[in-house]
Amino acid sequence: MSIKIALAGNPNSGKTTLFNALTGSNQFVGNWPGVTVEKKEGRYKGDKEIEIIDLPGIYSLSPYTLEEVVARNYLIDEKPDAILNIIDGTNIERNLYLTTQLIELSIPVVLAVNMMDILEKNGDRIFVDKLSEALGVPVVEISALKSNGIEKAIGIAAEEARKNMAIVPKHSFSGPVEHAIAHIEELLLHDMEERYQRWYAIKLFERDDKIQRKLGVPQDKLDHIENDIKSCEKELDDDAESIITAERYDYIGKIIGTVVKKHKTSDTLSDKIDRIVTNRILALPIFVAVMFVVYYFSVTTVGTWATDWANDQLLGDDGWNFLGIDGLFIPGIHAAVGEFLESIGCAEWLTGLINDGIVAGVGAVLGFVPQIFVLFIFLAFLEGCGYMARVAFIMDRIFRRFGLSGKSFIPMLIGSGCGVPGVMATRTIESERDRRMTIMTTTFVPCGAKLPIIALIAGAFFGEAGWVATSSYFIGVAAIICSGIILKKTNMFAGDPSPFVMELPSYHMPTIGYILRSMWERGWSFIKKAGTIILLSTVVLWFLMSFGNIDGQFRMLAPEEIDSSILAGFGSIFAFIFKPLGFGTWQLSVAAITGLIAKENVVATLGMTYGIAELADADAGSDYWAILASSIPAIAGYSYLVFNLLCAPCFAAMGAIRREMNNTKWFLFAIGYQCALAWAVSLCIYQLGGLFTGVVGFNLGTLLAIAFVVGFVYLLARKGKAEAREVVMA
Amino acid sequence: MLPLTSADKGVEHTIVKTGGDEKTRKHLETLGFVQGAKVSVVNDLDGNLIINVKDSRIALDKKLAMKIFV
Repeated sequence: MSIKIALAGNPNSGKTTLFNALTGSNQFVGNWPGVTVEKKEGRYKGDKEIEIIDLPGIYSLSPYTLEEVVARNYLIDEKPDAILNIIDGTNIERNLYLTTQLIELSIPVVLAVNMMDILEKNGDRIFVDKLSEALGVPVVEISALKSNGIEKAIGIAAEEARKNMAIVPKHSFSGPVEHAIAHIEELLLHDMEERYQRWYAIKLFERDDKIQRKLGVPQDKLDHIENDIKSCEKELDDDAESIITAERYDYIGKIIGTVVKKHKTSDTLSDKIDRIVTNRILALPIFVAVMFVVYYFSVTTVGTWATDWANDQLLGDDGWNFLGIDGLFIPGIHAAVGEFLESIGCAEWLTGLINDGIVAGVGAVLGFVPQIFVLFIFLAFLEGCGYMARVAFIMDRIFRRFGLSGKSFIPMLIGSGCGVPGVMATRTIESERDRRMTIMTTTFVPCGAKLPIIALIAGAFFGEAGWVATSSYFIGVAAIICSGIILKKTNMFAGDPSPFVMELPSYHMPTIGYILRSMWERGWSFIKKAGTIILLSTVVLWFLMSFGNIDGQFRMLAPEEIDSSILAGFGSIFAFIFKPLGFGTWQLSVAAITGLIAKENVVATLGMTYGIAELADADAGSDYWAILASSIPAIAGYSYLVFNLLCAPCFAAMGAIRREMNNTKWFLFAIGYQCALAWAVSLCIYQLGGLFTGVVGFNLGTLLAIAFVVGFVYLLARKGKAEAREVVMA
Repeated sequence: MLPLTSADKGVEHTIVKTGGDEKTRKHLETLGFVQGAKVSVVNDLDGNLIINVKDSRIALDKKLAMKIFV
């Protein structure tokens, strides 16, 4: 018989480590129905009959966060056969708070006390027998990290599940509370199976409106119990929910006294690190230094080395020696495929499609993977060791001035690798309003795929000047800050960002497994993209570029006829939109549009469209950069860069925004805002910058640009609404 | 009775009252900021605090920390 065991526990209690250790690779990740909270399921490695559900990390079963609502609905509606409650032994008091609630659900509970090794190292002890006796549930010592005791824990949980005995909580509340609870049970819940009554009664006592609605309690009965609750509150001089919380902690305090032997904690190592890392003066310099190291390594050294190797040798024409041994030469894929196609006498057009379309296009993206992976390794480390939570704390002070909370910073940091996991990382933000705003602005940070565009513009127009890249990040951050200020003053987002409350896990060394898993989960979407959407778009692009109507005849085109291609016609339609921004050529227009499919496409498309012209014109030299640079003024090149940085992200990231917003109108609003902002900013850069440098005369566009600047300053400076009006976008 | 933002660093204090809007207050109580709980300030970053409560470290922004009295 198959058994369902739910893993429940506080955030940072080692739940994910335990889940990975128990299930290995037998995992399925998805979302809980209707909400964007991650749902992980798996099967126990040692016994496939045991299904394990990893509930989100929660502090309680009160509906404060979406995670708590999801976990609680699962537990009361689906009723797993047992709950394996993992608790952090070094932080037992707070962790047991959830336990007291889980026990009341009357589902068999097994307690797994994690991090016993750290506890013992500190010279502290937990007497698990006494703890088990006090709580009335089995208690097992484990170390999730070292996989110690986890078989035993799951074994006992399975045993308890098979017995399926109702557990009777050993703790009780004070007299007046118990009296009210008994009354609620009698009045409202006598039809319910007895073992489940208590939990519902406590929730009704706490005036939990979700439970009131779920049970469909009629108003007159609610009024009736309201009297009981009120008199109890009067007697104990506090509100109902606080009474329950305080009494739970009282009860835990009493147990702890007898089952835990603990030294009086002075400063831990974590505290000492925090005094430096979150120091008033040092916090920001340390953060900047850490980020510099991360980007320096992933973008310029390790990452570039790996990316160049992948681009030129593995995927390109140069080839490489296996393990560096001379005799073991392996040709580059592009060259090898070319030779192979030639040798089998493949038609010229098919060779073009396969090698110049698919291999070159997909290769351009895959070649980028090493860089992204190196960046994700660093980010996984920062998250795993606990520093990321400190970054949120440090940045909160600064972000709050722009109407965002420090928690918004983490998605942006991850978004500098790839926007998809960046947008998904907004899930930790509790306030819906803050979360929506973060989703809208996260993709302004230049992601990994935008780096080649930056490199191209810097190289073709500005002699590879370093300020182009620096200013790109600056513009991304400025866009976020200004958007924060402007959006905060609208009805949709008005009001203070939600208060910052965040647990800071103690610093620790993450495991290699954790880092690799995290890197893989995030990097995989990148590879998947190359194999699917980019593959498809290169084929389509190649077709549109290679065929066209000439002299009334539809046929394949010679390279010099590319201006007659379908793609050129298509690009010309869009070119007028971009004309005021300075880059109204069909090639640049098409490249910007294909950038919506994937940002890597921008460079690939420019390479394909300008590169072919280069074949036709022998004087142009070997570099299409020169042709690109001569087609528009440098200031237009910069305006093009900014447009691509700020406009709607790639399909994959737009998909993520759509999913996370969970609402089509919000999604369209976000995308529309990004595109409008990109267009307006690029216009100002080209028109005003062009006027200043003398490449553009005074025209209608100049007036529009001035109007935008004035409007922008007004939006930034105007007085905002104090409180948000709930904007319904159903 | 003084707000956490004015409490001495590294000294154990006892919580007298927790303020803020109802939702946030409930969340703080869940995390252990209940009446009578012992807390100490681990670090202070211009009023944003790291608090040691029930052996865990909770970061709070200044506005919220001003509403918790010890």
